Amino acid sequence: MSATDLTPGILPLARRAILAFALAAASLAVATTSATASAPAEAYVQNNVQTGLSILNNRSASTDQKREQFEHFILGLTDMKRIANFTLGQYKRTASPQEQEAFAQAFQSYAIAVYQSYFSKYSGQTLKVTGSQQRAPGDTIVQTVMIDPNDKSGQPPLEVDFRVLGEGGKFVVIDFSVSGIWLALEERDQFSSFLGQNNGSIALLISHLKELARNYKAEH
Amino acid sequence: MAGIGGRDIGILAAAALLACWLGGCATTPTPEMRAANDPFEPTNRETLKLNGKIDKYFVIPTVGAYFFIVPDGGRRAIHNFLQNVSLPTVFVNDVLQGETKRAGQTFARFTINTTLGLGGFFDPATKKFHVPAHGEDFGQTLAVWGVGEGPYLILPVIGPQPPRDAFGQVVDVFLDPTTHIHFKQHLWWDVGRYYFTLLDLRGQTYSTVQGIQRSSVDYYASLRSLYRQMRNNEISNGKPETENLPEF
Repeated sequence: MSATDLTPGILPLARRAILAFALAAASLAVATTSATASAPAEAYVQNNVQTGLSILNNRSASTDQKREQFEHFILGLTDMKRIANFTLGQYKRTASPQEQEAFAQAFQSYAIAVYQSYFSKYSGQTLKVTGSQQRAPGDTIVQTVMIDPNDKSGQPPLEVDFRVLGEGGKFVVIDFSVSGIWLALEERDQFSSFLGQNNGSIALLISHLKELARNYKAEH
Repeated sequence: MAGIGGRDIGILAAAALLACWLGGCATTPTPEMRAANDPFEPTNRETLKLNGKIDKYFVIPTVGAYFFIVPDGGRRAIHNFLQNVSLPTVFVNDVLQGETKRAGQTFARFTINTTLGLGGFFDPATKKFHVPAHGEDFGQTLAVWGVGEGPYLILPVIGPQPPRDAFGQVVDVFLDPTTHIHFKQHLWWDVGRYYFTLLDLRGQTYSTVQGIQRSSVDYYASLRSLYRQMRNNEISNGKPETENLPEF
């Protein structure tokens, strides 16, 4: 592809975006929190940012231990099956329960392998909750900005938003965005296109995802 | 983003668009292609492959040479200069969109960086005066006025440029004051400006693009989704449009 395939507009994504994705991924955190703050979803995200950062900043843990903690961390929180089903788009309707289950497994391994590959890029950034917006009851967008201690550019910080479902004490993060780009949406567009090109073969998509996950694991 | 433009890019965009519409893009769209608003998908995929070759065999090696020859400070100065020279176009688009505050910021940035920033090679507007930078272009202005992007298109060399954005690029060339300043070496100025913009941009996006390519099941579709989401975010000036998000 040409350099300009990403113009106009990749610039906000450059460099810092990879870090932000890593950080956002790291912040998709553990289990349920019974938040008592006035904006429970915001408190939930802020707490989980701290949990995610504590994994990344834990100097006493080896890289392998961090990976394991991180995997546990993500699985404890996210509804991977729900996200996986969403990324199948229109093809979910025709997929059998067995195919959906196998796809969810492959998607999970792939997503975690991609997130883990960003570990080495982390260099002290953090996320600060700046507010939230309720789309519907139980469906909230929590807005954060990335604070990068190494960034001397003077530019406004990168915006990272989380979509949080749930109310009261039980929440789940189902997607996140960097500079307005939502990851699960992008995955759905990609997978739908792949399936459209390959006669809707979910088996082929699964094998492709498995291969990508293997490649990531082999490199890191 | 304004600043990518130049007379050459405008001509290229127009020529490629014409060529595409008159000839190579005549395919029968499948229901999937229609659903993705991408009736020229097969042609677009071929163009993306061509652009990939241009990138691999021409752009990346010269980016490598650029990074080797020009030190970090020099590259930053060139980046600042290219951004600054595009600000008059950004300003006009700010005004056309009724964004008075942002127009003021653009005006302030241009004034400060052209004078105190020694012709735009330095960026005291950001560092000393804390006036944030932003991009605008006529494609975004059209979107604000309610014009849809049209079918997805990838143009040779240029990349994703649906008709609205391609047309916007051409208009931006005419909005750019340097287009109307006549001097002998104008062609070299245009070519040099475009080329350094390419080097600057590709240098900055190298690892991001690599990351996208590595994690993609369908790189073409990934790029299409990223392009559209990025454009929508630029058009809304970064304000989240959460009402348009799908249900899970």
